[in-house]
Amino acid sequence: MPADPNMKILVVDDMVTMRKIVKNILKQLGFSNIDEAENGQEGLQKLRDGSYNFVVSDWNMPVMTGIDMLRAIRADEKLKSIPVLMVTAEAQQSNLIEAVQAGVSNYIVKPFTAETMQEKIGKIFK
Amino acid sequence: METQGHKLYEELGSLARFVDNAMNAISSATPQIMSSSTQLPTAAAHLTDLKKMTEDGTLEVMRLTELVQDSHAQMAKELSGVADVLKAMDCVTLAGRLEQVRVLLGQDEKHLMEIMTTLSFQDLVAQRVKKLVTILDEVQTKLVELVVVFGLQRNGNEAAGTGIADQMLKQLEQSKTTAMKQQVADDLLAQFGFK
Repeated sequence: MPADPNMKILVVDDMVTMRKIVKNILKQLGFSNIDEAENGQEGLQKLRDGSYNFVVSDWNMPVMTGIDMLRAIRADEKLKSIPVLMVTAEAQQSNLIEAVQAGVSNYIVKPFTAETMQEKIGKIFK
Repeated sequence: METQGHKLYEELGSLARFVDNAMNAISSATPQIMSSSTQLPTAAAHLTDLKKMTEDGTLEVMRLTELVQDSHAQMAKELSGVADVLKAMDCVTLAGRLEQVRVLLGQDEKHLMEIMTTLSFQDLVAQRVKKLVTILDEVQTKLVELVVVFGLQRNGNEAAGTGIADQMLKQLEQSKTTAMKQQVADDLLAQFGFK
């Protein structure tokens, strides 16, 4: 099932520049229904309040990290099936293994290109 | 017995001289330590300003890039419309030239997106600056403690490097040597069944 261009996407990152970059890339890839959150806690709240189809999240954030948000999503009966793409500067192999064990749908290491994001989204929604 | 007592006095004497020398050394170093500890907040403030400056600059470049992207998208749409009219009027050559212009705009669009993604450097810079500021804060606290307590010896736990500053220094070091590139991450993901 290819990615629906109208699907509701949540971009979670504490850095405004990264949120803008990810939103811009998603927009250029044809996605327009994009919302954002500043940390895992805000992201989780938005996910519980709305009907999102896809989450793009950073790892290192104040209040609640991306990995903790991912675990909370996978533990929530209503949210657990939402694909989560981690876009992070946490580039140690142990981080990736931790993310896989927590149920990440795919993983992008910063800095990244638009092609990488397109490829990862394609794989998640193939 | 008398010899042992004499030896004990000698030992105590040399210990007292050592303590006195150490106290003098610490006393003479204290102004420098105090000076360093008062300069550290300024260094941290400079780093925080640096982070803010890169953020402001990055956001401005992004704003301008998005404006160009939007105007390119509008131009591409207009060109398509004109090309369709020209084709309908059988002006194939002109329509073809407009199509070439549209292709060039498409290439520019790709470059604009590359500019946007390249700006993610700011996020990486900001994360390192944040870690450095945390390290400086902790070092400053420790220096002040050192001066207040007036002893340079570290206890066992601190020597083991368990403070936040030590952890962050380790993270910064690790990021230089063992950080994965996307290809390595993909290979690892493939081992977990991500195709």
